[in-house]
Amino acid sequence: MIQIRTNLLFVSALTCLGVGLATGSVQSKKKHVASVKVVDYNRDIRPILSEHCYKCHGPDGKEVKGDLRLSDAKDATRERRGYFAIKPGSSSKSMLAQRVAVGNTNDPMPPTDSGMPPLSAEQVATLKLWIDQGARYDKHWAFVAPVMPTIPTVTAKALIRNPIDNFIVEKLTKKGLKQEPEADNATLLRRASLTLTGLLPTQGESAMLAMDKKPGAYERAVDRLLASERYGENQARFWLDAVRYGDTHGLHLDNERAIYPYRDWVVRAMNQDLPFDKFTQWQLAGDLLPNPTLDMKVATGYVRMNPTSSEGGAIEEEFLVRNTFDRVDTTSTVFLGMSVGCAKCHDHKFDPISTKNYYEMFAYFNSTKDSPLDGNALYAEPTMLAPTPEEEKGLSENKTLMTKLESQVNLSEAEGWLTASRPAKLKVADWEVAGPFVHKNNDEAFTTDETPTTWKPIKIEVGKVASFIKKDNASGYVRTSIESDTDTPLTLRLNSDDGIKVWVNGKLVHSNNIARGVSEAGDVVKISLKKGPNPIIIKIVNGGGEDGLIFNYGSDKDARIDNAINKKDPVLTKKTFLNDGPDSATSKDYRAVSAKTAKIEAAIPRTLVAEELPMARQAYILRRGEYNLRADKVSRGIPAAFGELPAGAPANRLGLAQWLTDKKNPLTNRVFVNRIWQQHFGTGIVKTAEDFGNQGDWPSHPELLDYLAVKFAKDGYSIKKLHKLILTSATFRQQSVVSKQKEAVDPENRLCSRGPRFRLDAEILRDQVLQVSGLLISREGGHGFKPYQPAGLWEEVAFQGSTTATYMQDKTADIYRRTLYLFWKRTSPHPMMLSFDAPSREACVVRRARTNTPLQALITMNEPAFMESARVFGERLVKSKSSAHDRIKLAFNIALNRDPSKLEQSILQSAAQRYEARYKQSPKDAEELAMVGLAAKAKDLPNDQVATWTMIANTIFNLDEFLTQH
Amino acid sequence: MDPIREFELVMSRRELFGRTAMGVGSAALHTLLRSSGLAAAFAASSAFGALQKPQIHMGKPRPGLPNMPSFAPKAKRVIMLFMNGGPSQMDLFDYKPKMEEQFDKDLPDSIRNGQRITTMTSGQARFPVAPSKFKFKKHENNEDGAYFSEILPHMATIAKEICIIKSMWTEAINHDPAVTYIQTGSQLPGRPSFGSWVSYGLGSMNEDLPTYVVLHSKVGNGKADQALFSRLWGTGFLPSDHQGVSLRSSGDPVLYLNDPHGVDRNTRRGMLDDVSKLNHLQLDQFGDPEIAARISQYEMAYRMQASVPELMDLKQEPEEVFELYGSDSKIPGTYAANCLLARRLAQRGVRFIQIFHRGWDQHGNLAVDLPSQTKDVDQATAALIKDLKRLGMLDDTLVVWGGEFGRTVYCQGPLSRDNYGRDHHPRCFTRWMAGGGVKPGISYGHTDDYCYNIVDKDGNVINPSVDEFTPGAVHIHDMNATMMHLMGIDHTKLTYRYQGRDFRLTDVHGHVVKDLLA
Repeated sequence: MIQIRTNLLFVSALTCLGVGLATGSVQSKKKHVASVKVVDYNRDIRPILSEHCYKCHGPDGKEVKGDLRLSDAKDATRERRGYFAIKPGSSSKSMLAQRVAVGNTNDPMPPTDSGMPPLSAEQVATLKLWIDQGARYDKHWAFVAPVMPTIPTVTAKALIRNPIDNFIVEKLTKKGLKQEPEADNATLLRRASLTLTGLLPTQGESAMLAMDKKPGAYERAVDRLLASERYGENQARFWLDAVRYGDTHGLHLDNERAIYPYRDWVVRAMNQDLPFDKFTQWQLAGDLLPNPTLDMKVATGYVRMNPTSSEGGAIEEEFLVRNTFDRVDTTSTVFLGMSVGCAKCHDHKFDPISTKNYYEMFAYFNSTKDSPLDGNALYAEPTMLAPTPEEEKGLSENKTLMTKLESQVNLSEAEGWLTASRPAKLKVADWEVAGPFVHKNNDEAFTTDETPTTWKPIKIEVGKVASFIKKDNASGYVRTSIESDTDTPLTLRLNSDDGIKVWVNGKLVHSNNIARGVSEAGDVVKISLKKGPNPIIIKIVNGGGEDGLIFNYGSDKDARIDNAINKKDPVLTKKTFLNDGPDSATSKDYRAVSAKTAKIEAAIPRTLVAEELPMARQAYILRRGEYNLRADKVSRGIPAAFGELPAGAPANRLGLAQWLTDKKNPLTNRVFVNRIWQQHFGTGIVKTAEDFGNQGDWPSHPELLDYLAVKFAKDGYSIKKLHKLILTSATFRQQSVVSKQKEAVDPENRLCSRGPRFRLDAEILRDQVLQVSGLLISREGGHGFKPYQPAGLWEEVAFQGSTTATYMQDKTADIYRRTLYLFWKRTSPHPMMLSFDAPSREACVVRRARTNTPLQALITMNEPAFMESARVFGERLVKSKSSAHDRIKLAFNIALNRDPSKLEQSILQSAAQRYEARYKQSPKDAEELAMVGLAAKAKDLPNDQVATWTMIANTIFNLDEFLTQH
Repeated sequence: MDPIREFELVMSRRELFGRTAMGVGSAALHTLLRSSGLAAAFAASSAFGALQKPQIHMGKPRPGLPNMPSFAPKAKRVIMLFMNGGPSQMDLFDYKPKMEEQFDKDLPDSIRNGQRITTMTSGQARFPVAPSKFKFKKHENNEDGAYFSEILPHMATIAKEICIIKSMWTEAINHDPAVTYIQTGSQLPGRPSFGSWVSYGLGSMNEDLPTYVVLHSKVGNGKADQALFSRLWGTGFLPSDHQGVSLRSSGDPVLYLNDPHGVDRNTRRGMLDDVSKLNHLQLDQFGDPEIAARISQYEMAYRMQASVPELMDLKQEPEEVFELYGSDSKIPGTYAANCLLARRLAQRGVRFIQIFHRGWDQHGNLAVDLPSQTKDVDQATAALIKDLKRLGMLDDTLVVWGGEFGRTVYCQGPLSRDNYGRDHHPRCFTRWMAGGGVKPGISYGHTDDYCYNIVDKDGNVINPSVDEFTPGAVHIHDMNATMMHLMGIDHTKLTYRYQGRDFRLTDVHGHVVKDLLA
């Protein structure tokens, strides 16, 4: 495909340079040459050279033909045996201009057999003009750090609310376009609420805005939305797309992996407005920061997020390399807005990134402690416990309470109790073993008790498996002696594979003929010891396969008391006294709090984190990107074309993160503010949000992009401030009506000649029907939930032994949680997500497609959550209002945030009459429709009424207006 | 409002704005002017028999890219029969009689030549040769005959139709990367699948059914042990409307196709009419052509609700068809039933059809499990070719059979004359193609006596490189390039710019294998 990028800026001499154009079809292809035209290398020339010439005459050192690099000013303009490829100031003396000329048959460029498209006449003319004007090369705009631009003065009559509007209006004026008037407050609130929180405004919020008659009411509403907990949940999902967050490993077995605390941290970070520089550093290198907090470590889940495998037969080094590629490619796309991936095999064709540069970046990520093969483990190490803030708070409160209770204990009383409760002093002698004795079958082996004469020493450790039979249908004996300093009862806990008998002081005290594994539940045997040595013999019988014995003795309580006596620590003494001592009001309280603590601790999730190996792995340039084709050694570094590491940056991920967030970095801030713009307007200022390189689209408003990037840094990297700036601009507040003129001149709304208008994302579509119906629950964080999903989707693709081979839908209200918390199986995500353009989260995506398909229509019509929400919303309408008119009005207000027009009223009223007649006539159909979904049916509502208003709700849920941000 | 009047409105709206919204919308709008949703639904629901091709309703096409196809296609559609797991080439097609005397002897180092092997067998003390236990017989084709294993009796009967490529190769040695590679051109996730490229490039041939359909098959012995991934029919960075749509044998045949209980066709029609009226009011007020596109998508969804059940209703097929495909073909979700469905899809203008059959990963117990696999697929595969041929469709339908890599001649696990296992082998494997401009009844490429290396016809080892085409060796990129060529696509021209790079299915590789073309 050839992209047309030949738009020249025909400007009057007064106009400042560097203000770009929208791309493509806006411009008519033939334009009369104005008296003065200034060619801009970055905007006008580089795309031509990059598209048509760089493949052979670009930055890739290995591919350069004819020893000519048109990407390099010095090389392109040097003399070559009396000739010049480019002779600045003279296109007629420049070979380039002749070779590419339209109609040139004398060794034309690009060569006809190269597969590269020839230049158009217009492109040739532009090139010539550029050469004649001096052939000035500029560094690619995105590789030069942004500076605060001059804010254009607007002379046109326009509404200017902040500098964003100056940039936008200036361009609109030039195009002969006018701003649209501002939308009404209700529309603006809906728009702002959807883009910030991913939900519709509540009726309360709508009422609050309606009552706020003072100037700045909308601004205050935006502040409330930014302060809402729902804000972080919506913002997080954009980030989770970019970092390819999933709840499974993503490859082959695709087992579950424990990493959702990372997702919950992203939500928190957004809600707390963690500055973007910190947000970045924690994720890339939280583990390397001094005294990292829990959150800093949880954030390093970013590094671990790449899909992993443990496929049988996989070669470790191969996967180490693949995992590292994935980390480099994702990091470069997320923060630098460009893929450096091409350079893994050869120097980048279009951007100044060499293979060496690539592997220097690679070297930052190849030395984490995690195994390249994940072992298909839920907790692929390293992991850590990641209590939520609530859990941490609970633990800390309990600790305070327990300390207080401990302080109420009289120490000498506790010590007295401890001494009195002292368990007998026991000493277990060395063990001996006899056998095996083989029999015909298991039962014979069990019933026949041998009297062994030959005993050999054996080491048996408390709590560890000892195996000493190693034969089928056989028995074996171990013996020892426990010496006690007093007569005492004692509990033995014995696991055995298989049957077991126990003799103490010559008497059989326990016998259990059972077939079991050693890790299954064992036997508890209570025995009495006499003062002095007590000989013990244990017989184990093995029916077949493995055999084993685990020996444990004494109660936990005894062990605790013993420990406290030995340690002589007053606090421990008091703790033990409260836990195990006599009942009292204090001890009862103490034990209750202690139990609560244990419960919290048991619920704390683990999460995958990144940790650095003590010694970094050597990195090499890998030929063709093959793991086993090592070339030169490389050390860590960043591509020189992007600047240099800040002074003192360590040679590890932290140093990389410091460079990414350094104010001299040309890309990171631009890339991020562009994505925020894209979120609000549907398209970024740079349309190719994933590519700011030479091949990327020219920004629609380069100076606005720089303004936002610089302002963002100035505002302390506050993402909330950035949102507010954009949302309170007059540009954002315009009505989203598409006039005929604007449809022709600005079809994609790249010029922001009207308010944003685009189909809502998958998550919002699902969340808003749940919200409108009242089913949505706001439980934050935690394990992903499993909503309605057609049967068999996981089963038909999954590896049979996978922990995610079978889909088990949740049967609780969890199915009404926000879509952000959906359990994300990366090899088979929920079908609704995929149909509505959510990525699979196997690879980094910073810009979703936005399609419009019949499969989407089927989902919003029939998907169970949509249908159930329609039913519950229908019930709500029936319960709240008695007339069809009022119900329709209410439905519109809740779902569309406006009153229906007369025509809309009449269409839906006649629809309601139609449904009523139908469902009165078919009570069975009415009943079936009124039963849709797990949610309890409202009592005392007639089925035909519920069915009727379910269909009306279903109609509203399928309106373009409902599905669209506008 | 009268539906036809509505569509005229839509049309005039479109003309008013002078541009289409998204690609899908434009074609749909175009056709909607001529056939209302209701009319199309009625047309689709009329009964017709399988062999009465002209009566089958095929909607109007959605155009692809302006430069596609690059030249006149031989194949209008593709049916890809994907055997997931790595079928054992030397137990099926690649007859190696000399291995008989090598039983339990070590694979010579001169053959292995230090090539890497998976860590499942790299720890084995020995690499003993396991000759195939199955008998082979030569069957007449259009050259000097082709050998088929005794467990492929039906495929042997289509020897004159198929082009057997014995010298396929890939770099990938594990399932996930290998199957991702063959389906998307990259071993790492993130790229569009073959079918989605075709949908993007060539567009649709109908308006009632998806362009790219995926069918999953039950495995007879229940051992569908290797995994599949939605990325195999996903769109990567292409817009998601090009993704493969699964047609399912239980539940809704297309997800969410059926209206809920209590909502009949008339109710749905009435609801859609209301939606359409209300959306038109919005269109009048806001002028966004996307609204018009959405109206047409809802109509298309409504038509799919009729056309898909008609498609899935195999009862329309005469008994002789079931006899041809085998008795399994009456059981929904079997490979045989899917083959029959594939033919019906092909008749209705679905451009890319892919059947997945799992369970071909015989690391052990091959003697029992491989015949069970071939029993699932043998008859129906042959039947599909014969059926297409008698319908006159084989000439413009490309059928491809095969897996992601091959298997080793040396045994994994215990070896006896009667049973053995085989590890993954990427250095040579067999796939076949038929119809759609492929040279019928030939074999292409050779392997050495150990079925370990690709060799030329004189037996000299070829060490192929992905960078340049060596005649006699067919890299998976070469096969994909060849398949695209048959569909009228220059594989180097069907590109999509993402992150500054023009991506394509064959990455920077792939050569059309001219010797395979009729």
